Parts: sequence; structure tokens; C-alpha cells
Amino acid sequence: MSELEDASLLDRVRRGETDGAAELFERYAPSLLRFCDRMLSDRASAEEVTQEVFVKVISRAHQYDGRAGVASWLFAIAANACRDRRRRERRASVVPLEAIAEPRAKGEGIESTLVHAERRRAVRQALAELSDEQREALVLARYHGMPYAEIAEALGISVGAVKTRIFRAVETLKARFSEGERSWTAAT
Amino acid sequence: MDCRDLTALATDRLAGEAGEAARRELSSHLAGCEACRTEMARLEGVWATLGEDADAAVTPDFRRRTLALLEEEMIRARVKAFRPRNHFVRPLAQAAALLVAGSLGWVIARTAAPAGAAAAGSKTPAPSASNRAAAPTDLGGNPRLSNVSYEPPGPDGKVAIAFDVTTRQTVSGSADAPEVAKLLAYLVSHNAETAGEKSRAIQLVSEHYGAGLAAPSPEIVAALTTTLKKDANPGVRKKAADALASLTITPEIRAAFLDSLRSDKNPAVRLVAVDALAAAAKQSPDSSTIESLREKAVDPQENGFVRAKAASALKAINF
Repeated sequence: MSELEDASLLDRVRRGETDGAAELFERYAPSLLRFCDRMLSDRASAEEVTQEVFVKVISRAHQYDGRAGVASWLFAIAANACRDRRRRERRASVVPLEAIAEPRAKGEGIESTLVHAERRRAVRQALAELSDEQREALVLARYHGMPYAEIAEALGISVGAVKTRIFRAVETLKARFSEGERSWTAAT
Repeated sequence: MDCRDLTALATDRLAGEAGEAARRELSSHLAGCEACRTEMARLEGVWATLGEDADAAVTPDFRRRTLALLEEEMIRARVKAFRPRNHFVRPLAQAAALLVAGSLGWVIARTAAPAGAAAAGSKTPAPSASNRAAAPTDLGGNPRLSNVSYEPPGPDGKVAIAFDVTTRQTVSGSADAPEVAKLLAYLVSHNAETAGEKSRAIQLVSEHYGAGLAAPSPEIVAALTTTLKKDANPGVRKKAADALASLTITPEIRAAFLDSLRSDKNPAVRLVAVDALAAAAKQSPDSSTIESLREKAVDPQENGFVRAKAASALKAINF
């Protein structure tokens, strides 16, 4: 999808075309929901915040000035909304197991399923323990493949700050995963 | 490269941000440093482990709920953006005042006593010599006397009482009888002096033809389209538009609505035009209608409601 198409979609939203908003949703809802889910560690909150993001896009479409890419602008709104949500709710960082429950893969034994679920839970837990700033930057880089420059645009920080945040996040996770490595190995 | 730089360089490489030179430097260092190779393996392990976290997916239910919410928000945003322009406020207020005054007048006229209820107004014309009659009017039929004025005794000692006599007549005929149609057209075109009277006449026409009792006569259509095009009062124009919309749309009516959509200053009238044109286009699509609706749907100068209505009308007729 090109920047031009994105900008034209926003233009349609600005003009009050419902179809434009629907198309923007189809393009960006999957990635924004994934981002919010990892930022909030709660599926229901992630859905609410993703909706908030699109509602804000409708009311702020006229404010988009084209200096940043549309994707960066959307993630900026999402990052702010997630921060607000976390501030408001002071959500405990404990991850409910059902938040990451998935259907068992075909042919996967119950033990293996549990181990994988445990590993996923541990990953989510480790992410939740990072600071918001580190998690935002890491999630955008690792799960969204966003270049540092775009992450910097979305988060309103310098590229250097992005690098630092990701670097620190990786350092923290390395230590965290090393602690759990033994138990995972034993389980598998 | 120093071993202390490993995590930063390795992270850049894992994130796809390391340039060619940095990648070469890292590879060269790793080839000769076992500790960094171990460390690099751990960092790659961290990156891979992060990949085990499952992606949240958009469920059909979330999609449906969110799209419904966005549609509501779009409507809300349009309503919020809608600001009645000042030059509509005054005419609308005037129209409303006229309607209220007209309705009150009508109620009073219907309930007042036949004689003596009318008061002489300052603009009451003096009785002309030609209408002067020595003999009193026949009051046996309880005629309604209105617009009464009184002249005190003149040099000849005579007083004069001037009044209009209103007699009630009933014209009956089949719903599509030409005399009924002619009378209704007359009521719309000529008989109404106030906006209230005109609106009531249009309402009468609308009830008569809109109920499907009869096909509208050319006189009626002409009276309504002329009112839609030319009446100065937006309330009356809207009433005429409503009446026309209740009829079977003919090319003449469609043309009047297209003209109204293009040039009527009142958004409420244009909204009726959009609805009527969309309904007509659903029955028989017509390029000028589609084009006009499309222009309105994207016209940034157009009122938000009209724009939205035109857009949803186009959607409804699959254009």
C-alpha cells in the first residue's frame, strides 16, 4: 500500500466518507490491534483502544499534515492511547492466561501445547515487564518490522533514542529469558 | 569493533537496520571471538523467542462492532461539522414565525363568531363609492364579515360600514376531476397570501395526490415546481419539495429537483431533493441524477448532511 493511497484514504475520511474509514480500518486494524494487544497485554482493552484509535482518526483527520507517514501517525495515536489506558487503569502487569490461549495445533500433544502456552505466556510476561517506552519501540521493530526512522516518527523521538530503547529492551529480555531457559528446557 | 558494542550492533542487525559495513564488521569480529559468538547466539535466541508470542487477530465480531462504531462516528462528525449558515437562520425563523402566525390566524378564523369578530385594521381600505350599497347585506345566511371598517357621520349625516363578505362554497368531484385539479392548482399558485396559507394549500395537494387518489395534473405539477423554484420562503419551498417527492417522479419533477439540488440555498430543501432523486434513480437510473449526487457527495463546500445523504444515496443505488 502506498503512502499516496493512505493519504487519499485519510482525505476521504476527512470528507466524511464512511467507506474511507472502513477501508482504513481494513488496512490498519490488524497491525494496530496487534500493537495494542502487546502494549496492554489484554485482548479486550486492546480492542477498545484500537477502536479509540479509529474514532480519533475520524475526528483528527483534518489535523494530519502529511509530514509523517500515515502508518506512523496511526501508531503514534495508538501509542498515546495505550499509554493513557495504562495510566488510567494502572493495569496489573500479570497476563491472564486466557489472553494468550490459542487452539491447539493439529497433532500437537497436550503436554506440548501446555509448554508452548507457557512459553508464550512467559514472552508476554517479559514484554509486560519492560517499560512502556522500551516495549513500544521493541514491538514496532520486532513485530511490525518498522524501520528505526519510522518508529522515531511514530513515537516522536530521535532515531538514537529508538536504538537505545530497543537495545535496553533486548538486554532486559536476554536476562529474563536466561532465567527461564532452564525451566523451559526441562519442560521440553 | 569492541566486544562491548556487540549487543547494539547485533540488535541493529536483527532489526534489519545494520548497514553493509556494520554487518561485515560484526561478522569479522564474530569469526574471531568465541565469547561474542555465544552472546550473539543468545541475542538471536531472544529475538526468536519473541516470535513465539501469538499475534492477536481481528475477529469477525470485532470487525463488525468497530465498523458499526465508525459509521456512527462518521455521522456524528458530520453533525458536529454542520454549522447552519447565518443567512439561513433569519429566513428560517421568519418562515417559522409566518407558519405559527398563519396557523393561529386559521384557528382563530375557524373558531371566531361569524360577525363582529373581525376587527378593522389600519390598512383597511375605505369603502369605494362603487361598492356602496344602501340596503343592508342579507344576514340571514350568517355570512362571515371580515375586514370591517367604520366611517363616522359625514356632512350628509350618513355613516358607512365596510366589510368583506366571505361565503363558503364546496366543490365536489372525483379525485381526478379536472375542476378539482384546477382548484387545487389555483390554491397553490394564486390564493395564498401568506407562507402559512401556501403551506396549507400545498399540504392539501400533497394529501390529495400523495395518497395515490389521482395522478397529478400538469397544472398541479407546474404549480408545485414553480413554488419549489421561486418561492422566497424556504419553508414553503421545502413543503413543495415534500409534496413533489410524494408524487410519481416525472421528467419535469426530476428536472425541478436537479435544479433545486444545484441551486436552492436551503440545505433542508436540498436534502429532500437528494432523497427524491435517489428514490427515482433506484427505479430508473439516470446519468444526470447520478452525476449530480456524485458532485454533491464530494463537494467540500456542501452542507455535511447533504453530502452524507448524497453519498449514502449513491451507495443505496449501487453507484
